Amino acid sequence: MQSITLALAKGRPAKSTIALLEKTDVRFGDFHEDSRKLVFFNNDRSIKLLFVKAVDVPTYVEKGAADIGIVGKDNILESQADVYELLDLKLGKCKFAVAGKEDYIPEKGQQLTIATKYPIIAQKHFEKKGEAIEIVKLNGSVELAPLIGLADLIVDIVETGNTLKENGLNVLEDIEPISTRLIVNKASFATKSVEVQQFISQLKSALE
Amino acid sequence: MQRYTLNDRNKHVEDFQVRDNLIATLKNRFTTYGYKQVRTKAFENYEMYSDITGTVQKDDMIKVIDTTGKVLVLRPDVTIPITRMMTAVNQANDVFSQRLFYVLDVFRQSQEMPNQKESTQAGVEFFGENTPEVDAEIMMLAVHTLKDLGFENFKIEIGHAGFFKELIQQAALSEQDLQQLQALIQSKNIADIELFLEGMPIEEELKRAIQSIPLLYGAPDQVIQQAEKIIRSTHMQHVLQNLIDVFALIKDYGVEEYVAMNLGLINNMNYYTGIIFQGFVDRIGQPVLMGGRYDHLGKQLDKEMPAIGFAFEVDLLIHAILEQGLAEAPNKLVDAVIYYTNEKQREALTTAVELRNKGYQVLSFRNDSSNRNPISSKSIINFEKEQNLFSNEQIKQTFSKADELVKLLQGHKEGF
Repeated sequence: MQSITLALAKGRPAKSTIALLEKTDVRFGDFHEDSRKLVFFNNDRSIKLLFVKAVDVPTYVEKGAADIGIVGKDNILESQADVYELLDLKLGKCKFAVAGKEDYIPEKGQQLTIATKYPIIAQKHFEKKGEAIEIVKLNGSVELAPLIGLADLIVDIVETGNTLKENGLNVLEDIEPISTRLIVNKASFATKSVEVQQFISQLKSALE
Repeated sequence: MQRYTLNDRNKHVEDFQVRDNLIATLKNRFTTYGYKQVRTKAFENYEMYSDITGTVQKDDMIKVIDTTGKVLVLRPDVTIPITRMMTAVNQANDVFSQRLFYVLDVFRQSQEMPNQKESTQAGVEFFGENTPEVDAEIMMLAVHTLKDLGFENFKIEIGHAGFFKELIQQAALSEQDLQQLQALIQSKNIADIELFLEGMPIEEELKRAIQSIPLLYGAPDQVIQQAEKIIRSTHMQHVLQNLIDVFALIKDYGVEEYVAMNLGLINNMNYYTGIIFQGFVDRIGQPVLMGGRYDHLGKQLDKEMPAIGFAFEVDLLIHAILEQGLAEAPNKLVDAVIYYTNEKQREALTTAVELRNKGYQVLSFRNDSSNRNPISSKSIINFEKEQNLFSNEQIKQTFSKADELVKLLQGHKEGF
């Protein structure tokens, strides 16, 4: 058996995934939430676990630094990584949406300015509708942009909608549902077929 | 003075030796299958690439404008110019089967990797025949070459452009939907394929067939059995029969353990017309080789001509053999170093030339030369006033004539 490398997005997805793995008897003995360690092994050392920033998980997997990655669909979409997306873990469910001020009225023929952390997803969405847009890439507090006139609308992840409401914004349009996914490097799928498939089927059975 | 960053992976002399050895291995194997080496120009006509359905995006090509205002492109791929060459040669007559190979640099630019504009490809093209025997032989060549390089755990994935194409024609999707579905199938995203198909006006059975495409992966015998269940036209039957025939030949070559079927392999579907394949080795995240049958390319260049080929990404292969410790240790030693005194200069220099004639690597230095850094060699030859002395790890012996010296060196080579 060859060992496999698993890249896990830090934060909430990591905790729930580890809980899920424990159900299949895959345990990372020395793991605890506050640890600053970035690499862990399971008990029989058949799985090497890497903790990386969520946005980097698709890159690790695409380049083959990890065989398998577990990360939100938002990061997969934005990275456009060429990987297999084999399983929906149905964790961390939320959605991509277009939001604007409660009193927002679209003006015909005017080019929209969109503030977002996800320029590629925003671009693709409006391209599909045949609308040309201008993008302002922000790294946080995107909700602020329409309030101070930096942008007409935002494209962002919406979970409960509370943050939007508190800032006087409304969801105008849903783009795509998001949840935690399992992705696999295409070369690993070919050269470590048995190990990868076994890991996936274990995880699948834990989900049922 | 301005400082320039050295942005090259091959900055050491040893790196080139590794590359050269690897390319020699590839060339040797290609030759044993009857392939002849060719080269194409570095600057090509832009229109030749922009007008033809190939595998390179227009944006990725590096364009150059010459003094007459003509747009040229730095060779982004080798298959198109080689095919152009063959169609020109064969314009008037029937196409004879022809096996060609190349080792050439290709030039592409991408936003993701702005610093990597050139890479070396080593590829083969087989023109003039479309039979399962040809397809299987070329895949055997890929397997054979990977074995030569010392890889143990590697896989060639085989798919077919026709299978999915035929299936999807029956669904009559819009161009945009088709692209989205293709992307989902290439990422084997079964969850989202289901969602995508849910709202589509497609009959249930066809939906199930499309959904099963990404799962048609693995041991060829099993995949062929599963694929039979979703056959919906005689054309699909032909395609599957083609795969069955090719796989039977691969079995006869005795290399089926290195082959996996992947009917979800549908990249460049409009370019390839038959079998598509790609090869993976351990610990390298991208395919080290890609290829397939492209019978339409000749037609676009005015001469119908069946063709199949593949290319290795040489830089990835080098990375792989270094990563897996498969590269031979580069030889830093020379065969012999000669030191001589002033009065023996003539004798020492003629001896050096004589040894080089016999194929030995020889360095010569005057005794008082300032460059007396220790040179790594197992054999040291000293031409001194009173005597000529040969020494290596085992022996120290005087000699007077060159042929005595050769014997001493041979003795050393045979492990005296």
